[in-house]
Amino acid sequence: MATIMTVDDTASMRQMISFTLNSAGYDVVQAGDGVEALALARQSTLDLVITDINMPNMDGIALVKMLRALPDYRFTPILMLTTESQDSKRQAGKNAGATGWIVKPFNPDQLIHIVRKVLD
Amino acid sequence: MTSVLPFIRRTGQSRRRPQWWLAACVGIAAVWGWSLPYAPGWVLAGSGCTALLVLTVLAYFARMEAEVAHPIPDGTPARDDPHHALNHIDEILGIPQGLEAVPQVDELLESLVAENQRRRLEEVLRHWVDVAQRYSGAATDLRKRVEAVIQQTEHATDNIASSFQAVINKATLQARQAMELLEGTQGANSDGTPVSLKDFIRVSDVRLNKMADEVVRVADLSMNMVRELDGVQKRTQAIDGFLADVEKLADQTSLLALNADIEAARVGEHGRGFAVVASEVRRLSQRSHEFSERIRQHLKEVRAGLSRTYGDMRTLSAADMAHAVQIREDVIQLTRSLEGKNREVADTVSQINALSKEIALDVQNVVVSLQFHDITSQELTRTLMPMEELRRTLYHVMQETLHLDRDLCKSFTGPAGGDPDAKKDPADPGTVPGYAVPAMSEKTPADANLSVELF
Repeated sequence: MATIMTVDDTASMRQMISFTLNSAGYDVVQAGDGVEALALARQSTLDLVITDINMPNMDGIALVKMLRALPDYRFTPILMLTTESQDSKRQAGKNAGATGWIVKPFNPDQLIHIVRKVLD
Repeated sequence: MTSVLPFIRRTGQSRRRPQWWLAACVGIAAVWGWSLPYAPGWVLAGSGCTALLVLTVLAYFARMEAEVAHPIPDGTPARDDPHHALNHIDEILGIPQGLEAVPQVDELLESLVAENQRRRLEEVLRHWVDVAQRYSGAATDLRKRVEAVIQQTEHATDNIASSFQAVINKATLQARQAMELLEGTQGANSDGTPVSLKDFIRVSDVRLNKMADEVVRVADLSMNMVRELDGVQKRTQAIDGFLADVEKLADQTSLLALNADIEAARVGEHGRGFAVVASEVRRLSQRSHEFSERIRQHLKEVRAGLSRTYGDMRTLSAADMAHAVQIREDVIQLTRSLEGKNREVADTVSQINALSKEIALDVQNVVVSLQFHDITSQELTRTLMPMEELRRTLYHVMQETLHLDRDLCKSFTGPAGGDPDAKKDPADPGTVPGYAVPAMSEKTPADANLSVELF
């Protein structure tokens, strides 16, 4: 089964994402910020990354740019899961190389649906 | 006119004497001007001279009083005493120079106005700095409180999320086990062995029915056998009849042999051979009789045995039938009861399925709701940002205000003739007293952890 990394500075958000994806049969690893996520991505193989934008140390947009610079993650789907909904932010995410954009709060069914869609 | 003298004495002790003195002059001039159209020329000339006389006397008394009450002090007056400037005017008015001293008074009045303006500006600035300081304190306090609330709710949300996850995992396990248990009573193995209650009911029903049918068939066969035995018994009775005929035949043969023997004896020597044949015939007849008797004996035993078997068969067939019917009834009852239980189990399974769907929906709602902590905390942090921006701006404005105030002091020291150094705090030459380094006290240790870093 696919391994998914969730990146969010709020522990309860990570828990909810893990819970939702675990129940759909995916393996989930968690990271509290961009730096931690990048380290995790370098030492393991991930099939999908779901990241928040506003985080300490390294934000979501910077993380996407750094991941896209790694050869292993050039084509890995990356979903942004954030409270931001402005078009400018969306455009910034798209330009950085994000695959999709989900505005919080996510609906578990909707999240699983999108995850299946990008993993297929 | 006479009432002026006590008035002058009073004003001699008052700081408002110059104003009253001028007012008196103006009042007299007004009265004189007002009476101009009504009084004759000599009265006007007379009263004018009197007024001039009175004014001269008034000025003289005023000067004398001032010299007595306020001797001219030595040194420069402290600039920050607001009454000193007014006293200074008194002193100047007190100098015996007469009306020639008036231009100097104007100059002093101007400086007094400027001083007042400066004082008011200083007051406004102090007020402004005070407001800024209070806003800064309130903003810092509010931010700390909001952050504490965010932390507390985060902690609580984490706990709720963990507990919720544990509850859901346990509930899922419980539901799965219950379903496995119940589905076990509903399913069946492919090889036909009964593994479920439903299957067991079906198989046992079929087999018990088969057994009951077998019992009924055995009973039917028993009845047939009883009927056959009846036939056999009748035939043995017929054999009895035949045996009687055989015995009668043997008797007649024996009688015939006896007659032949008598006839042979009468014939004599010629009939000796015939007599031997007649005795052999009699012996055969006797043996035939013996056989017939033995057959009858055996036949009797056979009939007795058949009779016993007939009774047993009847009892057996009747008993088997009743027992088989009873078993069949019991099996039907048991099957119905088991079928009822099975329906209940099926209902429970469907209820558990429906409940699982409802739980899944509730789980979705909880997952959505638990995300609101993250959303609200981000919103709150975002709401605090403009306040923090304003606080920072205020700090800059306050610093500029302090510089402005220093410049203002410098610019005022010239025309006012005061001493600029008198306003400076010897301990803090960079700031004006009363402004007391407000913005610098803002940097608290808690600020180091904030997402919005202040300086």
